[in-house]
Amino acid sequence: MGSSVSHAAAPPPPPPAGLAVALPPKAEEKSEKKVDYLNLPCPVPFEEIQREALMSLKPELFEGLRFDFTKGLNQKFSLSHSVYMGSTEVPSPSSGTIKVPTAHYEFGANFLDPKLMLIGRVLTDGRLNARVKCDLTDNLTLKINAQLTNEPHFSQGMFNFDYKGKDFRAQYQMGNNAFYGANYIQSVTPHLSLGSEVFWLGHQRKSGIGFAARYNTDKMVATAQAASTGIVALCYVQKVSEKVSLASDFMYNHMTRDVTSSFGYDYILRQCRLRGKLDSNGCVAAFLEERLNMGVNFILSAEIDHRKKDYKFGFGMTVGE
Amino acid sequence: MSSSQGRRGSLPGTSDDGKGVLSRFSSSISQSLIVSRGKRTASEAATVAKKLLWSTGRAAWIAGTTFLVLVVPLIIEMDREQQMNELEMQQASLLGAPPPSIAAPAAPK
Repeated sequence: MGSSVSHAAAPPPPPPAGLAVALPPKAEEKSEKKVDYLNLPCPVPFEEIQREALMSLKPELFEGLRFDFTKGLNQKFSLSHSVYMGSTEVPSPSSGTIKVPTAHYEFGANFLDPKLMLIGRVLTDGRLNARVKCDLTDNLTLKINAQLTNEPHFSQGMFNFDYKGKDFRAQYQMGNNAFYGANYIQSVTPHLSLGSEVFWLGHQRKSGIGFAARYNTDKMVATAQAASTGIVALCYVQKVSEKVSLASDFMYNHMTRDVTSSFGYDYILRQCRLRGKLDSNGCVAAFLEERLNMGVNFILSAEIDHRKKDYKFGFGMTVGE
Repeated sequence: MSSSQGRRGSLPGTSDDGKGVLSRFSSSISQSLIVSRGKRTASEAATVAKKLLWSTGRAAWIAGTTFLVLVVPLIIEMDREQQMNELEMQQASLLGAPPPSIAAPAAPK
């Protein structure tokens, strides 16, 4: 999600987060005292630089009822049905956002292969999402994200070419609306990796450059990002024990002089996963996924905005793996 | 006689008008000053107390709902985890112990 800091186009939908959270594996043996600079580990992809913080601090909060059913037909192929009934926020010109009651049914098909991944979703309100991830060679990966809508000029598509080197990663992006971007991240020490990205929006003749740094050990991850669009983002995740991790996040927008800071916890217990977050905008949110049975998860989502007096509560169930 | 008359005359509400009016006037001024000041202070104190109560109520509401959303599910889940751990330890100790020692105390029951 690093690229969402730098450009105005909507970021691609995040991959579904399972119940297992893993920090990057150990870089070197504890017995080695001398750092081998020729054998550094491969860094995390540039857009996943803030992955741990985003998983802890930004769960998919929703309002209303959500029901997901995933049925595997094969080892590689599965279908999913999903129903959502509730309110969504629609930005309106007059008074900020308006809550509009919506309901939709979503049908999806997934094909998962070690070398090829195809995911498609079609909704009853006329939207189609498609994601393709294909390993062209051992090191080169092609990713395609597309979203088609009924409304004209709202469809988006993005092509990503990822190259994974020994201790670096490079990515080239091409999107509609004449969007071109590239980013590069390199491991500098076993714990530190630095990266940068550039992008160019053709239609608005806007370009930008951004820099990012990520320092991670077994127990903590600290990242910092700065972009020429005037956004500075810092975040820190500390793994307090194997079940608990705490995360905090700071974002400063120079153009709108907007500062936001948030603090959250992430408890991964055997039967449930509970994430809570407290914000400097006066927002309190919690997200609970509880395992009722084998393959049946019960979801509760709560978000209270004390400043705007906006309360959103949702519940749902996820059936299937 | 004249002194007692004069003394009687100095009491308020007596026939000696000049002294009575003066003392009555000054006492009424001081009384009204004190009373008006007292009234103003009392009304200000009431406003401050009302605002304090209102903001305390609001703070209590915010603290209460935040506690309810952030902390109560955590307590419930940690309690369940602890119960499950205890159950597992109990079952592990039960399975680990030899069966006759379990059957013997269970039989008389």
